Amino acid sequence: MVHKIIQSRFNVFLEAFLMAASIFIIAFALGLYIESSRTNNIINNYKTYEIQGLDFKLQSYYFQTMTASTCDLAVKHNFEFADQVYSSAIDLERAEGANQITDDLILEKQRHTLLRTELWLNTLQLKSKCGYPFDTVVYFYYGDPRTNKAVSEQKIISNVLKEVKERFGNKMILIPIAGDFNLDSVNLQMESYNVTQLPAVLINEKTVLYGFHSAEEIESYVGR
Amino acid sequence: MNFFTAFYLVMFFFGLFFLFIFMILHYRNKDKLYSYPKPKIIPSVSIIVPAYNEENNIAATLNALINLEYPAGKKEIIVVDDESTDKTLEIAKKFAEKYSAIKLIHKKNSGKADSVNVGIKRAKGELIAVVDADSYPNKDALLKMIGYFDEVGVAAVTSRVLVKNKENWLTKFQVMDYSIIAWTRKLLDFIDSVYVTNGPISVYRKDVLLEIGGFDKKNLTEDIEVTWNILSRGYKTRMSYSAIVYTTVPEKFTVWVKQRIRWNLGGIQTIWKYWKSIINSPNYIFGRFVIPYVTTSFILALIGLFLVIRSIWITGSYHLYSLYYAFSGYSLFKYADFNFSISLLFIFAVIFLVCGIWYYKVGFKNSETGKKGIFSILAYSFIYRAFYVIPLVLAIYKMVRGDLRWYTK
Repeated sequence: MVHKIIQSRFNVFLEAFLMAASIFIIAFALGLYIESSRTNNIINNYKTYEIQGLDFKLQSYYFQTMTASTCDLAVKHNFEFADQVYSSAIDLERAEGANQITDDLILEKQRHTLLRTELWLNTLQLKSKCGYPFDTVVYFYYGDPRTNKAVSEQKIISNVLKEVKERFGNKMILIPIAGDFNLDSVNLQMESYNVTQLPAVLINEKTVLYGFHSAEEIESYVGR
Repeated sequence: MNFFTAFYLVMFFFGLFFLFIFMILHYRNKDKLYSYPKPKIIPSVSIIVPAYNEENNIAATLNALINLEYPAGKKEIIVVDDESTDKTLEIAKKFAEKYSAIKLIHKKNSGKADSVNVGIKRAKGELIAVVDADSYPNKDALLKMIGYFDEVGVAAVTSRVLVKNKENWLTKFQVMDYSIIAWTRKLLDFIDSVYVTNGPISVYRKDVLLEIGGFDKKNLTEDIEVTWNILSRGYKTRMSYSAIVYTTVPEKFTVWVKQRIRWNLGGIQTIWKYWKSIINSPNYIFGRFVIPYVTTSFILALIGLFLVIRSIWITGSYHLYSLYYAFSGYSLFKYADFNFSISLLFIFAVIFLVCGIWYYKVGFKNSETGKKGIFSILAYSFIYRAFYVIPLVLAIYKMVRGDLRWYTK
């Protein structure tokens, strides 16, 4: 009798455990699936951008013989690509905020950082070869901000730069680059333009502004 | 995976596990919720009323006890005045003069538990009913409780406590709170796990109370402690869902906080005193379920509190830092920035919310309040239950400081 009572009680706990475990596993699997889909989407987008990046590399071979008409086309494509890369950066940040199981996106962020650096270098080449009068604004930021102060500051700087970009349109290229991933190509560029701390805004490879600056201040350096 | 995400997941799992225990128990036993055993014999009962400064309530309580349906000559009422500084003693004296069944003891102030112990020594009944001086049992409450003592091993039976004063938002929330507490306690009865024999009215075997040495004078929740003492020795405790007693609940938030501080402190004291019973107790269900369940509830509440504080800190400091930019005319948020991505914790939160609403809906439907709408359930869950953290934090603070005074009055 006692055995039966204990047995039935035990069943309640076992059944509750199995029900909780089942729902837990299903929810976890669903979460994992959603995260993986999001990551895969970003990886797939990256592949597209990577092809465009390679295309830019190839273009650099033709820079020697470029004519004014091909310059126009190259600059147009460069702007389009820069816009895509910028929106992919936003997607990446959003996905990173939502993904809680896997750390795959850290690697993706590094790949995107390299892609954006490549975009910047191509832009510089295009600028020098074609002599096209557009501004380059490179935003160096913490890809992995450790303090709330940095998160808050970067969010505002990002909004300010977006505002400036909207105002200048196709006269300005905005390239956000994470400066704390210890990537040699990024470190070299930062060093060569004397960018010593983050966050920083490099305007036309001449002026470095550290921390927060108003849109008006940034605009005063753009278009000079 | 982030350490804090893992924390949340552990909480979700335990939350779901406990929730399903209650739901399974409910659906298996819903037809038996209100049933109670008819007593084969009517034993004599001594009703002890410990009273301290209860001039506003004691008369109504004594009237309710006088009116309790019970055979004449088998019921005595012992009022133990704990050196009240108001008119409690005076009022009790008048009742004692009017009704021969009422006996009055006046003693030096030494707390509720000691008052009950003094009453037990003077009691003549086979059963001891302890009734708070601000509680009012229904006429048939006692008769609906004593039948459980026919079962071998049952040492205590408790009742369903409902709220008498439904004056303001706080007391209305407590109506919901007490309803859920009573419902879950009854469900625990089906697995011999009633771990509180509440103060408003509970009945005990006198010989068992004498065996365990009465109520613990040092414990702030003597009703929990005495129940754990009984359970730890292998006795059973039961709850009669049909035996109803009304009690006066705090109408002011500060009084409510003080009461809950006492409940929290007493709970922690009791866990500390009986944690070894997890292994030692001859009562399997008490050692393996009741103690871990109550302890886990405290730990989960503390972890939850920590996570809430952390979340407030992160969000708060983020916005605090952004204030500087706001003053410069820059907004931290833009409509275009609004983004919603389904995350793992969001999925769990939705599941838990749905299960929680189901749990409360069933609980309220089977309690005094009757059916409750989603809005009421959400208000209860997210407003009233959120207040739980205040007394919990204060209780821990007082525990750390070694401040273990009686807080309610």
